Formats: sequence, C-alpha cells, structure tokens
Amino acid sequence: MLQRILRPSVLRPVAALLRPATAAFSTASPLRNLAQETVAPATPAAPIATAPIETPAAVEADPSISLLPLLRLQGAHYITVHINGFPFLVTKGDQITLPFRLKGVSAGQTLKLTHASVLGSRDYTLKGNPYINPEIFSCKATVIEETAEPMRIKEKTKRRNRHVKKVRSKHSYTVVRIKELEVLDV
Amino acid sequence: MAFFKITLIRSGIGMTKKQNGVLAALGLRKRMSIVYHAVTPDIAGKIMKVKELVTVSETEFSETKQEIRARRSPPKGWVVEN
Repeated sequence: MLQRILRPSVLRPVAALLRPATAAFSTASPLRNLAQETVAPATPAAPIATAPIETPAAVEADPSISLLPLLRLQGAHYITVHINGFPFLVTKGDQITLPFRLKGVSAGQTLKLTHASVLGSRDYTLKGNPYINPEIFSCKATVIEETAEPMRIKEKTKRRNRHVKKVRSKHSYTVVRIKELEVLDV
Repeated sequence: MAFFKITLIRSGIGMTKKQNGVLAALGLRKRMSIVYHAVTPDIAGKIMKVKELVTVSETEFSETKQEIRARRSPPKGWVVEN
C-alpha cells in the first residue's frame, strides 16, 4: 500500500529538552536506591480501584539519607519526572511540550509534579525504586499553553487504483514550564 | 468465593464458529483481554471448549474492566495546585 505523509516543513515539537552534558558524568559513587515500600496490589477480599500506591519508607530510616545533604548543597539539579507515565529529564526553567493534552488543566495553572525516578546533580544521583520519596524534592510546573501539532495528512491508496483516502491528524499538546526544582531539607 | 481469571492468549481469528461463540459468551474480545468468572461447572465447560486459546488461573477476587484498567495505568504524577 502506498502511503505519503504531507506535512509542513516546520519540525514537529519534541517532547523534552536535553540536559547539558555535564550532568552525564558522575565521578562519585551514586547514592544507593532509596528503598520504597510497595503495597501488594490487591488483597483478595478488596481489590483497589487505583494504580498500586507505593507507601514510601520513612525517609530517616534509609542509610543513604546521609548523602542527601551533599546532593542538596550542589547547585544545579536535574530530575526525571513522570507525567502520565512518560519520563522527562528536566531542570528548572525548562519548557517541555508534552506529546498529549493534559485533561482538566488550563493555561496559567501551577502543577505539583509528584513522581520522579531520578534526581541528580553533578556528582550525585538519587534513584528511586521505582519512584523517589516525594518528601525529598519539590518540583512545580506552570501550564503555558494548549497547542496542537501542524496538520498532517496521510494519503492511503493502492496500486492501479485512482482513489486516494486522506487521513488528517492534528494532535493536541500541552506546553509546560518547570518553575521550581528544589531538593528539600529532610 | 473462587474465580477463574481467564486471559485470551491466542486470537479467535480463523477459529471455528463454536469457539468464537464461546469466546463471545465468556466476554473475551481481543487478545490479552482478561475476564473474571465464578468457578462453576458451566464456566469450566466453556473454558474446556476454548482451552487451546486461553490461560486460566484461580483467584479469590474478581475485577471489573474499569478496575483492571485503573490498576494497570501509571500514576498521573501531577496535581493541580491552583
């Protein structure tokens, strides 16, 4: 089947900005995973109606908490936040175009981002299992706008058949800017 | 109360009308769809009719389609502050 996609020359917006190369180097030994207590998905008698909620272990109980002040004192931090299950590696000031529309949200609202799997600085990285204790960091984003990709038209046809079917797509995107990223004093 | 957790592993495409009828009666539409039924002889008989297409386990609880979806979907990860 022949397919042709007609699209304006403007590049489609990408999902996330890349972090500068310095963040990739970690000369010090990384922090051990903060163990997260996972609640068993559903007890036989009463299955829960929501996604498995992980009750984080007490922050003070974990031995790797001793390195957290060192992570906190290093100036520049990055975080891998998970929005609707999609990971985005961002730092403060980054603008991300989410490849979907956030429902129930309008421009100007502030969002508190609660799920993060990696929080790091130049020399230290904190990895969650699978998510970091939300008491450790504070990450807030502002909704900038609700926009859409350029219209793209997929032409579908068969050989030796003059009929061409045109399928039009114009997905909505939500643009969000990270306003705050802090490692809290726990 | 015990339940059968039935997962459609092989598609019903190309299978006989009877087998597809049994899949419809069990509520299995697409491959990898999961359905819960009480452990009774008639359900057991239906499973035996399509046993080559299906994986079965026994559980104490049953879930609705909405509950399965909610359990599988990832956490939103964001909360509106104002």
